[in-house]
Amino acid sequence: MTDKTVRDEEGQPLGYEAAREELIDVVRRLEAGGSTLEESLALWERGEQLARVCQDWLDGARKRLDDVIGEQPE
Amino acid sequence: MPSLRESTPESPAPVRAVANAVAQWIDRLGAVWVEGQIAQVTRRPGVGTVFMTLRDTVADISVTLTCQRSLFDSLNPPLVEGASVVVHARPSFYANRGSFSLAARDIRMVGLGELLARLERRRQLLAAEGLFAAELKRDLPFLPGVVGLVTAPGSAAERDILDNARRRWPSVRFDVVHAAMQGPRCAAEVMDALDRLERRPEVDVVVVARGGGSVEDLLPFSDEALVRAVHAMRTPLVSAIGHEQDQPLLDLVADVRASTPTDAAKLVVPDMAEELRGVTWARDRLRQLVVQRVAREQELLDQLRARPAMADPRVLLDARWSEVAELRDRARRCLSQRIDRAADDVGHHRARARALSPLETLRRGYAVLQDADGHVVTSVSALATGAPVSVRVADGRVHATTTTIEPLDANGSQTAAAQTGHQEDGDD
Repeated sequence: MTDKTVRDEEGQPLGYEAAREELIDVVRRLEAGGSTLEESLALWERGEQLARVCQDWLDGARKRLDDVIGEQPE
Repeated sequence: MPSLRESTPESPAPVRAVANAVAQWIDRLGAVWVEGQIAQVTRRPGVGTVFMTLRDTVADISVTLTCQRSLFDSLNPPLVEGASVVVHARPSFYANRGSFSLAARDIRMVGLGELLARLERRRQLLAAEGLFAAELKRDLPFLPGVVGLVTAPGSAAERDILDNARRRWPSVRFDVVHAAMQGPRCAAEVMDALDRLERRPEVDVVVVARGGGSVEDLLPFSDEALVRAVHAMRTPLVSAIGHEQDQPLLDLVADVRASTPTDAAKLVVPDMAEELRGVTWARDRLRQLVVQRVAREQELLDQLRARPAMADPRVLLDARWSEVAELRDRARRCLSQRIDRAADDVGHHRARARALSPLETLRRGYAVLQDADGHVVTSVSALATGAPVSVRVADGRVHATTTTIEPLDANGSQTAAAQTGHQEDGDD
């Protein structure tokens, strides 16, 4: 469910907060500019990856919620 | 002392004289045994006299009763409000303030007073034994299996408890044991009932309930044997006897005291509807919080992804592309300028070359004479008649043989030689 392939420096699967923090950093650096074309592309790809990780976490959370809430009709 | 009877408006008697006269007259009354009920007791520290109100047991008449603190304190059991007493007192008049009171020399409890006194003694005794100790109090079960109820058959108390309990928790189960709630048999019957309920393990709590009544009515609920029996009980007990202000000893030994039967029902049985509301509220609150949290995180993520740098990286590339394009254009511009200049330059040279090149001259009708060896002939002297020559005209070359040579002078007219030579040709 969660994209475990995205890893941080130490190779641990990225947790939601970690992914979100890094994503914010990536966006900030991209917007700051000043990096080479190659770096910007790499940054952007990393950003996409991180965004997907965060989305997976949120989708997972929402699914677990729906499972619980869905079970007992209100 | 002048008799007060002769007092006249002209020679009135002073107040002190009147007060003292009254005091002396009252003193002559002497002591008397009075029966009444102690209504109010005012005992202030440091004040030697205790002030009480002695009320007639029937009529609504009362009088102030005073006694020495030592006497009051010596009374055992102590004098409590509401006690009916018999007092040996002397009417006395306190001249300074003109107040009348009975000065008690001896106070004895009687009837109810005696009763209450005995109760008080018993309370102190049992309390001393620790039967009422707070740490003995047990908590009531939250959801009792069976509720034991000891009450008078068909009593209002019974109805109150059953109705209220069922309204709060419809599936409550009762084991009602009826017993006399008044009179000599009361204590014994209540004890039997308690014993029966005690033997049923599924009974988790017992309530002893009775409506209001006089002190005498409630006396059995202070019976020592009953109190000891309750003390020995394993099952927690709720005492719901009489009204709020009544406090038989049963209240003190019970695990919980309920002021009214309805209150007892509330204590032993939870209100299911309320509990359910609580649970539902908690669950809804829980969900709301988590859903909100996820929504907030999602919103943040969406914002991040919407940022141009992420949403549309082309923006980045466009920036770079326009930069490159601009550089390219500049390059082109300066290149084309260079080319143009080069072109002009070449054009210029070509023109000059062309200008210098004989081709135009030839076009204009000139021709270039070359001798056999290809050298350009610039003077007739270089040739002799019959010498082969080639003539280069604009569009080609003519090969010929010199027939005659005609030297000319600079401005084009025949030179003498030419004229002479001309005749020589003629002679050969």
